Amino acid sequence: MSARRVFSNLLALAHKRHLDRELENEILAHLELAEKDAMDRDLSPEEARREARLRFGGIEQMKEEHRDRRGIPLLETLFRDFRYGLASIRRARAFSIVVIAVLALGIGGTVAMFSVVDAVLLKPLPFPEPDRIVCVWEAPRPGVVNATTVAQFLAWKRSATVFDALAAEESISAALNEKSGPTRLSGKLVTAEYFKVFGTDAALGRTFMSTEDQPGAAPAIVLSHAAWKTYFGGDPDILRRRVFLDGEGYQVIGVLRPGAFDRDESQFWTPLVFTPAQKSSDTHWLTVYGRLRASVSLAEDRQRMQAIYAALVQTEPIADQGGSIAMEPLARLLVGADLQRSISVAFGAVLLVLLIACANVANLLFAQGGTRRTELAVRAALGAGRARLVAQLLVESLVLCLVGGAAGVVFADILIRLANPVLSRSLPFTAEPVLDFRVLAFGLAVLLGVLLLTGVLPALRTASGNLVDSLKQSARGSSGGPVRVRRSIVIGELAVSLVLVCGALLLMRSLVRLQQVETGVRIENVVTASLDLGANAYPTPQKATLFYQDLRERLQTIPGVRSAGLSTYLPLEWISNGEAIQIAGAEKPVRVRFKRVNPGYFRTLDIPVLAGRGITDRDREGTARVVVINQALALRLAEAGLKNPIGKMVRLSSTDYENNPRMLEVEIVGMIRSERTASPGQPDPAVVYVPLAQSPNPHVKLLVRTPERGLALVPMIRKAVNEIDPNLPLGNIATMQQVLDDTLLPASRPAWIIGAFAFIAVLLAAIGLYGLISHSVTQQWHEIGIRMALGARPNDVLSQILRDTLATVSVAILLGLLGALALTRVMKSLLFEVSPLDPFALAAACIVMLLIGLLAGFLPANRAARADPAATLRDVG
Amino acid sequence: MSKAQPDIPHGTLDLLILKTLETVGTLHGYAIARRIEQVSGEGLRLSQGSVYPALIRLEQEGWIRTEWGMSETNRKVKFYSLTRAGRRQLTTEVENWKKSTALVARFLEPAT
Repeated sequence: MSARRVFSNLLALAHKRHLDRELENEILAHLELAEKDAMDRDLSPEEARREARLRFGGIEQMKEEHRDRRGIPLLETLFRDFRYGLASIRRARAFSIVVIAVLALGIGGTVAMFSVVDAVLLKPLPFPEPDRIVCVWEAPRPGVVNATTVAQFLAWKRSATVFDALAAEESISAALNEKSGPTRLSGKLVTAEYFKVFGTDAALGRTFMSTEDQPGAAPAIVLSHAAWKTYFGGDPDILRRRVFLDGEGYQVIGVLRPGAFDRDESQFWTPLVFTPAQKSSDTHWLTVYGRLRASVSLAEDRQRMQAIYAALVQTEPIADQGGSIAMEPLARLLVGADLQRSISVAFGAVLLVLLIACANVANLLFAQGGTRRTELAVRAALGAGRARLVAQLLVESLVLCLVGGAAGVVFADILIRLANPVLSRSLPFTAEPVLDFRVLAFGLAVLLGVLLLTGVLPALRTASGNLVDSLKQSARGSSGGPVRVRRSIVIGELAVSLVLVCGALLLMRSLVRLQQVETGVRIENVVTASLDLGANAYPTPQKATLFYQDLRERLQTIPGVRSAGLSTYLPLEWISNGEAIQIAGAEKPVRVRFKRVNPGYFRTLDIPVLAGRGITDRDREGTARVVVINQALALRLAEAGLKNPIGKMVRLSSTDYENNPRMLEVEIVGMIRSERTASPGQPDPAVVYVPLAQSPNPHVKLLVRTPERGLALVPMIRKAVNEIDPNLPLGNIATMQQVLDDTLLPASRPAWIIGAFAFIAVLLAAIGLYGLISHSVTQQWHEIGIRMALGARPNDVLSQILRDTLATVSVAILLGLLGALALTRVMKSLLFEVSPLDPFALAAACIVMLLIGLLAGFLPANRAARADPAATLRDVG
Repeated sequence: MSKAQPDIPHGTLDLLILKTLETVGTLHGYAIARRIEQVSGEGLRLSQGSVYPALIRLEQEGWIRTEWGMSETNRKVKFYSLTRAGRRQLTTEVENWKKSTALVARFLEPAT
C-alpha cells in the first residue's frame, strides 16, 4: 500500500460520515440517471425504477466494499472496540467507577510521590553545571566538619586554583522598614563571588562586583524575585531605590531571576565585608561554597586542597595540625540521609499501594470476565477469532486504564499543589515537586505497567479455555480456576496491606513515644517570637539592655500575661556549641552550650531551680557576674573535679555584643533541672545560663505565658514592642506547641504519610476481599439454595462462608507478618524506642486485618444466609 | 464480502475504468458504468454499483481526480478524469494485461 494511500485512508477514517453522505448522493444520482435512461426506452416509472435498482446491484454490499476499500479495516475494528469499551464502561457504571477510582488513587499517589522523589533525589540541581558546586569545610578530625575562619577562607581564595569562584556566607535577619510597617526578613551576608558559584544572574540590574565586598564599598543589596514581588510590589524602578534594613540604607543593585532562590529562606543578599578584627579572629563561622573549574575528578581536587592546607599549616598559625579540608558536592549536602530515607520509604509505600490497586483492578476484571464469558462464548460461536476477543478485552481495559490514569494525573496535580506549601519547609530549597514532562513520562510508564498487570492476565484468562463449554456451563456457573487465581490475588493484597498497617502502627507508636518524652519545660499557653535589634538603632549593649527591661515591664502590664521571658535560644531548640568552662586546677576545659536568659525565663517555662538560686533582676551590668547551670553540666563539672559547684568561681569563654570572643570570671549561683535541647533520645547537653543583662545580645526570642491557648495576645505583644521601637518587627511568631510539633516533624511526617497509605491499602484490600467473597457466594447461590432446602440453617451458611473468609485472611496475615519481618531493617532507622517487631503494633495490625476481613466476608455471607431457598433454586445464574 | 462478478475478469475493472476515462475524458459514475457496458456490447454483465468502490480506490491512489458538476437530472455529482499518474498507470496495466493474456494464450493454444 503506498504512503499516499495510507494517508488518504486515514483521512477517510476521519471524514467517515462526510464520505458516507457523498456516496449516498452519488448512488441517488446514479439511480436517477438510470431511471431516466430506462424511461427514455419507454418503460413505465415503476419498471424503470426496478430496472435501475437491478442493474446497480446490492447497494448495501457496495457501500460496505466502498468503506473497506477506502479505510483501514484493522484500525476501524480498533475504533469499534474502543467505542465498545466506552459503551461497556457506561453500561457497567458502578463497576467502572470503582475501577477508575481505584486506579486514580493508585496512579495519582504514585505520580505525586514520584514528583517529590524526582525533585529531591533525581533531578540535577537547578543551577548551571551543578556537579561543579561544592561545599568546602574544615575537618579538624576525620569525619567531623566545621565552619571555617575568615583567615582560612581568604587563604583558600588566594592559593586555591581548583575553583572558578569561592564564596562565604552567613545568615542574618533584618527589619525592613517600609511604609506598611516593619517586617522581619531573612537574608545572607555573602562575599562577592557568591552568585558566580551558583551560576545565577539577575533579572534586573546585576549581582555583586568583586569590589563590593571590600571595606569602604557603598552598601548594596540584591533581592530575590519573590521578595521583590512581595515587599516591593514588583516595582520596576526598584534599581533607583534605596531600601532600609535595620535603619541602614542600601542601594538595590539587582533582582534575581525567579527560580530556586525564591524557595530559599533568604530574601536578600548584602556583601559580607570582613573587619580587621574578624580577619584575625579564630572564630569558625563561615560556610563556604565553591564552583570547581571543569576538573577531572573531585578526588583530585580534594588532593590539591589538601596540599594547600599542608602548606598553610607550615606558614600560617591558623590551621590545625591534624586537620584537613573536606569538599562535598552541594547536591549530597542538601539532601540529608534522614530525608532520603523518609522519601524512599514513602515511595516504597506508595508503590505497594499501587500494586494493591492493580491487584484490585485485575481482580475486578477477572470477576467481570467470569460474568462475560457467556457473551464472549456467543461471539466466539459466531466466528470471532480468539485474538480478536483478547484484543477487545485488552482495549476495554486500556480504556479503563486511560480514564483512570487521566483521573490519576489530575489527582496527582491536586496532591502536589496541596502538599507543596507543607513540604517546602522540609525539602531543600533547590527541590520543587512539579508535574512536568519527566513526571508525566513516569506516569505513562506506570500506566503501561498497570495495563500489563491488570489487563493482559484477565484478558487471556477470560478468552482462554473452551468458551463453548462455558456457554453450556455458565448458567450453572462453576468456574473453579478463576476463583483460585482471584483468591491468590486477594491474599497478596491483604498481605501487602498488613505490612503497611504494621509499618504505620509502628511509626505511630514511635511518634507517641516521642511526644511523651519529658521536655523539662511547660509549653502550654506559651507564645514565642523572635526579635533582632539592628546595629544602627542599638549600637551599644546598654541600649539593648534598656530595651529588654522596658519590654518586659510593658509585657507584664498586658492583661492576662503571667510572665515573659527572653532568651537567645528557644526551649527545645538546639544550642550551637563552641564555648567552654575552665575550672581552676583542671587540665581540660568542660565544653558547654551557652544560653543568655532574662529573669523571667525559668518562671515562664516552669523550669525548677534545684539548688542555689535562679537569675534575678539584681543580676545586671555592674553587679557580680553569675551563671546558672543545668544538671547535665553539674555532672560534667563533677567529673572534671568540681564536686559542689554552687558558689564556686569558674572561667567561662563567651562572645561580647559585637560577637568578639572574651573570657569571663563568673560565679555559679544555682542549678536548674535540665530542659531538653537535644533531639529526643539523645542525652541532655551541658548548658550554662547567663543573665541577658550581664551579657546582652541583639538577637533574642520572646516567650510570653498567656491565659489561654493560641495566638490571641500577639497583637498586644506587637503593640508593646512597637510602643518602644516602632521600627522593630516580630519574627517567627508561633506557640511553643507548634515549636514542639516542628521538632517532631521528621518523625511525624513519615508516620502520617505511611498511615494514610496504609489506610488506602486496607480499604482497597477490603474491597477486593468483599468482591471475592460476594462473587463466590453468587457462584454458589444454587448450591446454597440446595443445602438450605435440605435443612441447613442460615447460621450454618453464615459460618461456612465466614470460615472460608477467615482461612483466606489467615493465610494473608501469615504472609504479611513474614513481609513485616523482612522489612525490620528498613523500619529500625525510623523508629524511636520502639522495636520493629513491637508485639503490640504487630498484634494490633493483625486484629485490624482480621476484623476488616470478617466485615468484608460478613456482608455477602449475611445476604446468602437470609436468602429464600426457593428463590435461590429458581434464580439460576 | 463483495460478491465476485463472474463476468468481469478479476482485477480488470480498474483497467476498464482507466481506459474509459482515457478515451472519453471527464465522466460521472453512471456514465462510466454505462460506457463500459456499451463498449463491451452485451458481453459483460456489470453491477453498475461496483464502479464506486473501484473509483474511490483509484482516487486514493491518485490516478484519477474528481470535480463537482451537474448531472443531466440537475443533481450535484462527482465527475472523474484521469491524472498524469493515472495515464502512466494505465500504460503499465495495459502492458501487464497484454503480457499475462499472451502468457495464458500460449498455454491454451494447441501445442505446435
